[in-house]
Amino acid sequence: MSDGLTHAAWSDALREGALLGGACDDCGATVGTPKAACPHCGARGLEPVELPTAGTVYTETTVEVPPEGIDERGYRVAVVDLGAARVLGRLDGAAEIGDAVALAGHVEDEQGYVVPRFEPA
Amino acid sequence: MPRAAVVGAGMTEFGIHDIPLEELFAEAAFGALDDAGAEPADVEALYFGNAMSGQAENTTHLGPKVATHAGMAGIPVQRFEDACATSANAFKNAVAAVEAGVHDAVLVGGVERCTPETGRDTAAMTRVFASASHRQYEQPAGLTFPGVFALLTKRHMYEHGTTEEQLAHVAVKNHGHGALNPRAHFGKEVTVEEVLDGPVVADPFRLMDCCPFSDGASAVVVVSDELADSYDAPVDVTGVGHATDVVPIADKPTPHVTQAARDAAEEAYEQAGVSADDVDFAEVHDCFTGAEVLASEALGLVADGEGGPAAATGRTARDGDVPINPSGGLKAKGHPIGATGTAQVVELTEQLRGEAGARQLPDADRAVAHNLGGDAATTVVSVMEVRG
Repeated sequence: MSDGLTHAAWSDALREGALLGGACDDCGATVGTPKAACPHCGARGLEPVELPTAGTVYTETTVEVPPEGIDERGYRVAVVDLGAARVLGRLDGAAEIGDAVALAGHVEDEQGYVVPRFEPA
Repeated sequence: MPRAAVVGAGMTEFGIHDIPLEELFAEAAFGALDDAGAEPADVEALYFGNAMSGQAENTTHLGPKVATHAGMAGIPVQRFEDACATSANAFKNAVAAVEAGVHDAVLVGGVERCTPETGRDTAAMTRVFASASHRQYEQPAGLTFPGVFALLTKRHMYEHGTTEEQLAHVAVKNHGHGALNPRAHFGKEVTVEEVLDGPVVADPFRLMDCCPFSDGASAVVVVSDELADSYDAPVDVTGVGHATDVVPIADKPTPHVTQAARDAAEEAYEQAGVSADDVDFAEVHDCFTGAEVLASEALGLVADGEGGPAAATGRTARDGDVPINPSGGLKAKGHPIGATGTAQVVELTEQLRGEAGARQLPDADRAVAHNLGGDAATTVVSVMEVRG
């Protein structure tokens, strides 16, 4: 059993251009963000795995009314299907659902939390 | 056998209320008590919902504050926070408590103030609402709540061909229903063209695809089955299902099916011994037009993929075969977060009693309420029926 994937390790990897997920040995599921146990079967100690950095847009939207703290409008948010798992991040460029995209960096909020940024592949 | 009965129902108008939360809640609480013919002393406990007064108004520990203001200091108060499903969760626990004999009669309700007129501006409240998305894995992307439901709805559009025009029909229908409801935040009808001409909030949603920020309160008196017949107009609660789903959205196996709603509906229908075909009407959580489409399918009221066409062809209108949101729904009635769940129970109670006035549906004997929280990761589904 591994020590599992933490938010810190996930974030550090993203800053270095890698996407980490957690793979469940018991039920075979892979999730795209850290969990202390598998959300599908409850098994502890998901094995940290490196996810592909390219995939397809699963769904997306363009946010025109942002929350306090974000000055820009018209930015895109997408869920990207990486095969084994999906992750949510920013999407720059014209990709629509089903189109190929690749990791192109990250965005960081005022508290230093990061999420992936994708561009058309 | 019913699990419990609702014997009193009250709510404020939903809209703009520039008064403290305690005063707002007391108006709904007294409405429910008066409707039941009950006194505060008859109530053994308060099951209370409020989602975000700490963030929005810097007031917490609201339970004893509202109980004191409404003449119920001393009784146990439990407060629930489950984003937009806040007071349905309170209702679920109240039903379980009277069914189990923990209490015989309780008050259940919720209150919230969300309007820019009485509190924080749109950008600030958009941020407060976004706190229901994952802090580390979703919020840094700038995801808003219109954005959350846009992500679910756009995948549904991709899978099933649901169109923006069909979504607009949901708004037109619910505004039409709301025009018959004197307590609705929005009382005017709109056209498909007006909806489609509105400014985009988060595509595919335009302004009128979105429910408003509302202030309001709602409350119901819930009593045990044994006690129900000592009140004038009991309505039976025959099933309450409650389920959660994986957070964040990206880790949900199929986000747009809203699995928690399906699981909660199955549980509620099984308790009631009914199926979706037996439901005469539904109040569903239409925080955005797309959310009603997803809910109508998750409850089994229409087939998967048929939610959009059902709205566009009038099947879900008051005079359709599966009426949805006769109150106007969140879209037109309004959505004061913590008050929404029990406001749905208020509508079911009034319709099933035949006391819904201009918006009364014919032959309403059994109904379902669907109250969703967060990114659809919490859903409570309740079945209520004319007392047998």
